[in-house]
Amino acid sequence: MRQLLEGSRAVVEAVRLCRPQVIAAYPITPQTHIIEHLAQFVADGDLPAGFINAESEFGAASVVLGAVAGGARAFTATASQGLLLMTEVLYNIAGMRLPLVMVCANRAVSAPINIFSDHQDSMSVRDAGWVQLYVESNQEAVDTVIQAYRIAETCELPVMVCMDGFFLTHTFEPVEIPEQAAVDEFLPPFHFARTLNPAQPMTLGGGSEPDNYLEFRAAQHQAMEQASEVIAAIDLDFGDHFGRSYGGLAEPYRLEGADTVMVTLGSTMGAVRDAADTLRGNGMPVGAVRLRCFRPFPAQALIHCLAGAKRVVVLEKAFSAGMGGIVSTELRAALHQAGMPIPVESFIGGLGGRDLTPAVIEEIFHLAASGKDFATSRFAGLDTGAMPSIEET
Amino acid sequence: MNESPESRAKSDGKEKEPAATMQCFHEIRFHGRGGQGAVSAAALLALAAFDDGFEAQAFPKFGSERRGAPVEAYVRISTTPIRSHNQVYTPDAVVIQDSTLLHSEPVLQGLKQVGWVILNSEQPPVGASTAQALRWVAIPASRIGEQFLGRPLPNTVLLGALAAVTGWVSLKALEQAIASHLTNKGEDVVKGNIDALREGYRIAAEKQEQVS
Repeated sequence: MRQLLEGSRAVVEAVRLCRPQVIAAYPITPQTHIIEHLAQFVADGDLPAGFINAESEFGAASVVLGAVAGGARAFTATASQGLLLMTEVLYNIAGMRLPLVMVCANRAVSAPINIFSDHQDSMSVRDAGWVQLYVESNQEAVDTVIQAYRIAETCELPVMVCMDGFFLTHTFEPVEIPEQAAVDEFLPPFHFARTLNPAQPMTLGGGSEPDNYLEFRAAQHQAMEQASEVIAAIDLDFGDHFGRSYGGLAEPYRLEGADTVMVTLGSTMGAVRDAADTLRGNGMPVGAVRLRCFRPFPAQALIHCLAGAKRVVVLEKAFSAGMGGIVSTELRAALHQAGMPIPVESFIGGLGGRDLTPAVIEEIFHLAASGKDFATSRFAGLDTGAMPSIEET
Repeated sequence: MNESPESRAKSDGKEKEPAATMQCFHEIRFHGRGGQGAVSAAALLALAAFDDGFEAQAFPKFGSERRGAPVEAYVRISTTPIRSHNQVYTPDAVVIQDSTLLHSEPVLQGLKQVGWVILNSEQPPVGASTAQALRWVAIPASRIGEQFLGRPLPNTVLLGALAAVTGWVSLKALEQAIASHLTNKGEDVVKGNIDALREGYRIAAEKQEQVS
């Protein structure tokens, strides 16, 4: 049955359907409602799990690390500074190849402090070895959490489901919450082959020497690369079970005959679809690709989508200071490797919650179509007059 | 005020029934102050519209989560799936929970020509409707809220007024939304809000009658 639910509430319904046994978290805006709802479920006896309100995000991540190592299905959620405080543990979880699922309620990173949404938090931990899936809607958040446990447990890799703070977490919209029996059929019970067991003592993540650390790391990279196929296959299988799927790694929109193609992530895609429809209506051949899976980076899927494009413009809500857009940089490398000399323009926007409206996106499409500046990243909607300078202060 | 608002709303017999079969797209912007319940009002409206068979979306603009600070919340009601997650810039109606916001915030910005202004006030501000062909509905919602809820909460009164003049959502669905959304606040709160909703509906319907 379709229900009108707040995004945070919808996503915890999905978490509950996955039958986690241990939940640990520390509240941070805009993730808080997710954790509050889960705590309520547990307190009301509606979710038979251990709920641990940790003393910090570092503690929360450590608890779920231990839980999965002990063979339990576990869940956590965080955002922004909270995710950064988890960073050390995120690497450990991935290095131990622990199949954990977390929701990142994407939020900007301090300083200056800002509670609103962008992708700087999750993009900052892109090298930690977690699968990262960015969702467009609350329905996709629900469905992706369920997919994420299958992906994690099939690949023995942790999965981060990235949903835009406020734009999704605090928005009421219609969602279909699957039936428990259907989820049970799609997601088998968790059996962790390397469960810690005092009867057969074993160490996870223990000391490694120069003669084998490289091999551990290479194996981790290989597992991530191989996860691409699994992620795509599980999305298709989810479609067979539930009638909804999301393009697997990358979702195309109106690519037929498109000269200029925008690549973006997350909830911004709704406005990009609106803008593309308007421009198409005006006879401008534009299309879009939503990058659903950022890690592993789906070079092949993107190359396939962009094969017919004359130019690409990436609209992204995070950047590497001193370098520019992260997705655009990686996409340029992928296209170069594939021998596809398609110019890729980079626009950074929507930082700290600034709304990327269809009008702003149409303007970016126009700027990209007139294609002159492919060398550097540009900030969409930048008010240069409002930029502070150290001298002034 | 001896007659119950329930009987009056029912005896009115002119309730507009929204039809999800006709193509529509409405955007509503709520302006209030922290603590007045703009975010809850938006959620209730979306829940009701969804119950009436429409696609619906509600979300807050979290500028300043402080009691008394200006707050905005948005609702979209549509016959087709809503994929935008943008704020509402060109609303078809604005609901203003505190009339002092008229002087401090750009509450009418982007409001469509012949858009609705549902205002918590004893009367429309003098000269306010001259600039645009706006349709003003002034309801003493805080006073009515005080009467039914014991606190000057204008929320559900204004929702009733919005439903009465626009017909975008049914009174019945709003009542159901209040009953389900506020159930954990107790029977008295639910009943008080439903009575306040009906009274807002009744007064706005009456005012519209007088105009037309």
